[in-house]
Amino acid sequence: MNRKTTLLLALVLVLMLPLALRSGSLASEVLIYALAALACNLLLGYTGLLSFGQGIFFGLGSYTVALLLTRLALPTPLALAGAIAVGAAGAALVGAMAIRQRGAYFVMLTLAAAQMFYFIAYTATGLTGGDNGLLDIPRPASMDTPWKYYAFVAVIFMVVFWLLLRVTDSLFGRTLLAIRDNEARATALGYDIKRFKLQVFVISGAITGLAGGLHAMMTGIAPLSNMEYHTSEMILVITVIGGTGNLLASVLGAAFYILLADWLSTLWPRWLLLLGVLLIVVSTGMQRGLWGLCEAVVSRAARLIRRRPAGTAIDADGGST
Amino acid sequence: MTTAPVLIEAVDVVKRYGSFAALGGVNLAVRRHTVHSVIGPNGAGKTTLFHMLTGTGSVTSGRIVFDGHDVTREPDHRRVQRGMARSFQITSLFPNLPVHENLRLAAQGVRPRQALDCWRPPTGERACRDVIDEVLARIGLQRQAGTLAGVLSHGQQRRLEVGMALAARPQAIFLDEPTSGMGIDDLDDMKRLIRSLRDRHTVVLIEHNMNIVMDISDLITVMQNGRVLAEGLPDQIRADDRVRTAYLGNMITGGRA
Repeated sequence: MNRKTTLLLALVLVLMLPLALRSGSLASEVLIYALAALACNLLLGYTGLLSFGQGIFFGLGSYTVALLLTRLALPTPLALAGAIAVGAAGAALVGAMAIRQRGAYFVMLTLAAAQMFYFIAYTATGLTGGDNGLLDIPRPASMDTPWKYYAFVAVIFMVVFWLLLRVTDSLFGRTLLAIRDNEARATALGYDIKRFKLQVFVISGAITGLAGGLHAMMTGIAPLSNMEYHTSEMILVITVIGGTGNLLASVLGAAFYILLADWLSTLWPRWLLLLGVLLIVVSTGMQRGLWGLCEAVVSRAARLIRRRPAGTAIDADGGST
Repeated sequence: MTTAPVLIEAVDVVKRYGSFAALGGVNLAVRRHTVHSVIGPNGAGKTTLFHMLTGTGSVTSGRIVFDGHDVTREPDHRRVQRGMARSFQITSLFPNLPVHENLRLAAQGVRPRQALDCWRPPTGERACRDVIDEVLARIGLQRQAGTLAGVLSHGQQRRLEVGMALAARPQAIFLDEPTSGMGIDDLDDMKRLIRSLRDRHTVVLIEHNMNIVMDISDLITVMQNGRVLAEGLPDQIRADDRVRTAYLGNMITGGRA
């Protein structure tokens, strides 16, 4: 699929959400987690890095926006730029440590970093509000309703999506695929893969920080839970369910997860159990995720359509004899 | 030919793994535009020597000089920029990427900083079309350019393996058993390919097929137990008694004598 089609499909999705949903907050939440999943997909799908630390950057983004808006009363764009910068800086720090190792040890290091940042946030009550989080984050009057805020998030989402399409199509993005496929060969060809991993980590952290900032503005609070391990896990689950290696897959995953969670949680408080079942199905049976499922359905449909004219021709022949 | 200037030099290279000395002081001088083969029984230290020369591993002591520069402490990805390229004994490609993308990545590896560019796609001059087309023709995979590397036949993968080294346009090419696991029909193609490399490159070759080694080598170094046992022209090696007794017996004659 080329870049324009992908961008168009993303736009269609963004325009469809207000038609399909009654809550503007829910729609905003879908796009915000889609941003976080896109950033995670860049690591997991394009580079082969399984990071349990995405919640760190999400939380950092939330706190940064909260602090910049409440204490310094900065304009919204500057506050979000701050979230991007702090997310990137956090990722540079965590990344520089974690990419020293590969495989299981890399995963453990991101997990360790997630725990550390969580407890730092928990302890630094002066800055983060500790267990209570930061409250009363203001939103400008121009975004005072959920749907106005959705429009704001949607514009940011489309810009980031377009940027990420460029990144994944660039020399850098193509080299990431090579690193994902075969690190040893990539090194032997002359690539310093640690630099590539660090760079992709920083990009991922910046976008996740932005998502965290947008989330804080949406809910009006920056809770400790945004920094929690559970947030990392949720971002990963969304990415895996959607499917790795394609950007639209992450958007699909986010829409699916957020809307399913919203629906199931009204039916049954233990709905996360069902999500576990779904994750087992995806991990064992459909590793290309929902996106892979969609692709399979579309290609089968295309084959059926192509076969049908031939079939009717045979029927016509049979009728004439 | 033997008076050509030296491109690669190993001086007293020692590599220890714990108390085991995989290389016990190896000296090697590879001259420009030659095919220099390294042979020896399994465990002689050939591949370890390769790793030391290309920077995949670091030496315990000794020096590696390449093109007049001491590269002993340089990691492998830096040595690529100096003009070293290698192929792997066990095929090591990007299986989920097409053949031409495998080669483009290999060609780009010489200028890895450019590959940090997040904005521009690999089009125009960044596509390295000329190099890719030339290498594809050389390894005879023009028709497979769009095929995923992972679904090529074994013989084709072995040729792509060599092509990846070629695409970097290196001064020196290190080939680690390029014919391993190859069918008998593909051997002659590979032999011709390696011999043709000498014009523009310097080739260091590890190979078990004595027929190929004896036919295309300018100089042969025989290793045993992490040391150099003998060095000489193919005919000298074939006639060397020490080599005969220590190594392959009559296999060394390449089926001729």
